[in-house]
Amino acid sequence: MKIRTEQFVEIAREEMKNTRSKAFLGLLPPVINAMRQISLATFPDPDAAQAYGAAIRGEVVTRLPELLEEFERNATARGTKVVWARTAAEANAFVLDLAKKKGVAYVTKGKSMLSEEIGLNDALIDNGVDAIETDLGEFIIQLLKRPPFHLIGPAVNIAVEEVRDLFMEKGILAEPTEDPVALGYAARLHLRDKFHRLEMGVTGVNMAVAETGTIVNVENEGNIRFAKSSPRTQVSIMSLEKVVPTMADALHMIRLLCRNGTGQKMASYISFDTGPRAAGAIDGPEEVYCVIVDNGRADLYDDPVARDVFRCIRCGACANICPVYTKIGGYPYGWAYTGPMGQLLNPLLLGFSGTSDLFRACTLCGVCKSVCPAGVDHPRMFLYYRARDAAGDPKLRSRGRPLKERTLYDLFAWGATHPRLWRQGAKRMRPRVNRDARDGYLSRSVDSLDGWFRSRDLPEMAEKTFQERWKEREGRKANA
Amino acid sequence: MPYAAREDVLGKLKKTDRRGETPSRPPLPPLTELGWGTEQLIEKFTENLVLQTGVVHRVADRAGALEKLTEIARAEGWKAVMIATDEVLAPLDLAAWGRANGVEVLKAADFTGRDAFKDAVFDQVDAGITGVDWAVAESGTVALVHDERQPRLVSLAPILHVVVVPVDRILPVYEQAVERILAARGGMPAHMTLITGPSMTADIQATPFKGMHGPRRVIALLIG
Amino acid sequence: MRRVSLFVPCLVDLFLPEIGEAAVALLSRLGVEVVYHEAQTCCGQPAINAGYLPQARKVARHFLKVFGEDEAIVSPAGSCVVTVKRHYPELFADEPDWLARAESLAPRVYELSQYLVDVLGVEDVGATFGGKIAYHEACHVLRGLGVSEQPKKLIRAVAGAELVPLNAADACCGFGGEFSLHYPDISEVLVAEKAANFINSQADALVLCEPGCFLNISGYLHRHHPEKKVFHLATLLAGNGKGVRA
Repeated sequence: MKIRTEQFVEIAREEMKNTRSKAFLGLLPPVINAMRQISLATFPDPDAAQAYGAAIRGEVVTRLPELLEEFERNATARGTKVVWARTAAEANAFVLDLAKKKGVAYVTKGKSMLSEEIGLNDALIDNGVDAIETDLGEFIIQLLKRPPFHLIGPAVNIAVEEVRDLFMEKGILAEPTEDPVALGYAARLHLRDKFHRLEMGVTGVNMAVAETGTIVNVENEGNIRFAKSSPRTQVSIMSLEKVVPTMADALHMIRLLCRNGTGQKMASYISFDTGPRAAGAIDGPEEVYCVIVDNGRADLYDDPVARDVFRCIRCGACANICPVYTKIGGYPYGWAYTGPMGQLLNPLLLGFSGTSDLFRACTLCGVCKSVCPAGVDHPRMFLYYRARDAAGDPKLRSRGRPLKERTLYDLFAWGATHPRLWRQGAKRMRPRVNRDARDGYLSRSVDSLDGWFRSRDLPEMAEKTFQERWKEREGRKANA
Repeated sequence: MPYAAREDVLGKLKKTDRRGETPSRPPLPPLTELGWGTEQLIEKFTENLVLQTGVVHRVADRAGALEKLTEIARAEGWKAVMIATDEVLAPLDLAAWGRANGVEVLKAADFTGRDAFKDAVFDQVDAGITGVDWAVAESGTVALVHDERQPRLVSLAPILHVVVVPVDRILPVYEQAVERILAARGGMPAHMTLITGPSMTADIQATPFKGMHGPRRVIALLIG
Repeated sequence: MRRVSLFVPCLVDLFLPEIGEAAVALLSRLGVEVVYHEAQTCCGQPAINAGYLPQARKVARHFLKVFGEDEAIVSPAGSCVVTVKRHYPELFADEPDWLARAESLAPRVYELSQYLVDVLGVEDVGATFGGKIAYHEACHVLRGLGVSEQPKKLIRAVAGAELVPLNAADACCGFGGEFSLHYPDISEVLVAEKAANFINSQADALVLCEPGCFLNISGYLHRHHPEKKVFHLATLLAGNGKGVRA
């Protein structure tokens, strides 16, 4: 997947002018948020339910290696072939090699953000194995070669007319229509044959249960169930943080994932796989592989703040409520993960150089944290990223910040610790700042504040600071 | 895949001395559903499934279930159906019912293997009929354990899924269903699904519709 | 007699001194003695937000020296209170002496409305205002401090004032300090939406507890809807709202 994180500002600007994106962002997130609240209210104590989810995820982060070993042990005992991959390349090579060994012409893909992260589709397609996305949204953006707009609805912003033309061009649609339902059914018919003849299915993983060695997937469409039912070989790929301690924990997280992600009490299909098909079963895979992908995560585990990203369960609640995401949509995040979780994950996985806009383009409003069912403290992490970036941390692949900025903050700190000079400095700045003031307001840019003045005025610097007024007041009191 | 990958990844994870204590868990959050009585469980199961466009018929006994099935078969113009052979369906003797009603009733054992079975379940049947292992009132969900008697594709590939639910199998919450399944089998089954209504999507312009890849409709027959 | 030490953040000191004066007038009227340390400067929030922690630590140490002995510190700026209460202990995680000082100070710092309602137990401060008021739930006040009911209680008790609902009252106004300078396109859209919600609320004034939001929203309104008024809560409660610019 092409990385475009460096173009954050430009893409955001384009998207805010894009009437279609704007219309969808104005409509969809508020609806999902409302549904989320209604569905959370079905818990007798929604806050306690969210807090319990956060505790589960906190425990996962702390016990990660033991839980992975426990999962591997139990999954292996039941016949799942557990495979470890250090890098995207290793993971892709394994899946490709397996597809070649099995002699399959194509695999179907269930929606997997990890597969976007590691670029699995390209790795397969470039080497002669077709990889067909089967989640309707992913199917559309794969054909359009576009990045995901939204975690849950990757193509939700695409105009029906565009989907119609695309489906006509690809021979998926016989007669042109702009009815989303008819377009969906056309995709159903097209993909049905792929499911029918399927020899190898590839899906992501929502949870891997350590206690039982079970892989859990949550979906609405049924494409993942097909990938787990029709073929002889099934491959699940998971990033290593997807593990949960117990089946009871998984059930609680499923409740939270559905409510926070789509505002559903329950998704249509939850599937639990513990090894290959039962003896005598006519369908289901004869071989189940579970690829545990690291791709740089284990290197971050030593960092007690950064590793908190492993809490994330990819529900997308933070995006739907983020003031920035709901204005710019998914494209500016420039890579696999969108919204606040993308602002946290993309920089860690790609390195800070080239991604620093992601953790800076945030007002620290904290609404993401307030909805997170996994206990991620996004604002705290953004501040931490900024601090490591300012320190030029090589472990996080930071280039450091411009010297000019550092000098400014050195000066600030020096001034703020020298009260008298701080006052004098302010006094000296006043005439320069207020040069163009009219009626107590500045409307034209001063120094490097262009961004502010593009749309806002600023009160002029007060004739007398609060401190000066206070001193006068005290003086009057003394004289009285 | 080199075995070294496993050692590398786990080694890095275990190397750190900054893991800290495992945080303690707050008390398990309460679940309202646990207080529901029998009739309320039936009511809530129905209500939740209907919210997902499921159609629910309640019948008194097996005879009533077969009668209702006949009604549905006629209304839908069924020629052939694929059935599971689980313990809920077995006593209904759907094979006899099919012969009496002119519906071809197919099951996995009728096929030589996976491919022949797939051809039929994908293309040759008007509905899939299953029983349940358990049902869950909290969200109108059915829990199916998939094995020889319960092929995965019966509840997935046909456009209509008819699910037969004895009311004494309706439990308040998922945990209870899973506990019973674990207890009965001494562990997790190879494959289990929780199914809540038909397949759906809202991926084009957020327009929701049912029947994306799996069944467009789910009909539940509650017995008892 | 109760005594509080007033913490006047730099934005208020330099650009909005009336807010500080209003806080003094209000507290004095309620029989609270106000102390003001002339050595105070800034809490260091800009440096923390930009990631310059060594610099922020210097500023924080200065703050702790200036305010360390006070029984109660009150500020009309929610985000600065969050900085002292929450971020100082994090800043000094590896410096036990300063950590102890930061942790001992944290519970003694109050946002103004929090102090009035939770500590003084006052709701009606004897202010008057003729008209409808909408309340903007500033992010740091609402989610940083959990303060929301306190300002609303105070507004409801203002004679002649009617608190009216504001759509998306808890949505960010797009200030975010440096965010508003570095990402002006996004910031502008957010503040425009806040302004539109305020205008649609039919309120005569928008009231808030955060100088940053004040500069942002009033600065936008001054450019695009100059007839619309924004007040800091202190200004409203001090009862001298009419004479205050913007």
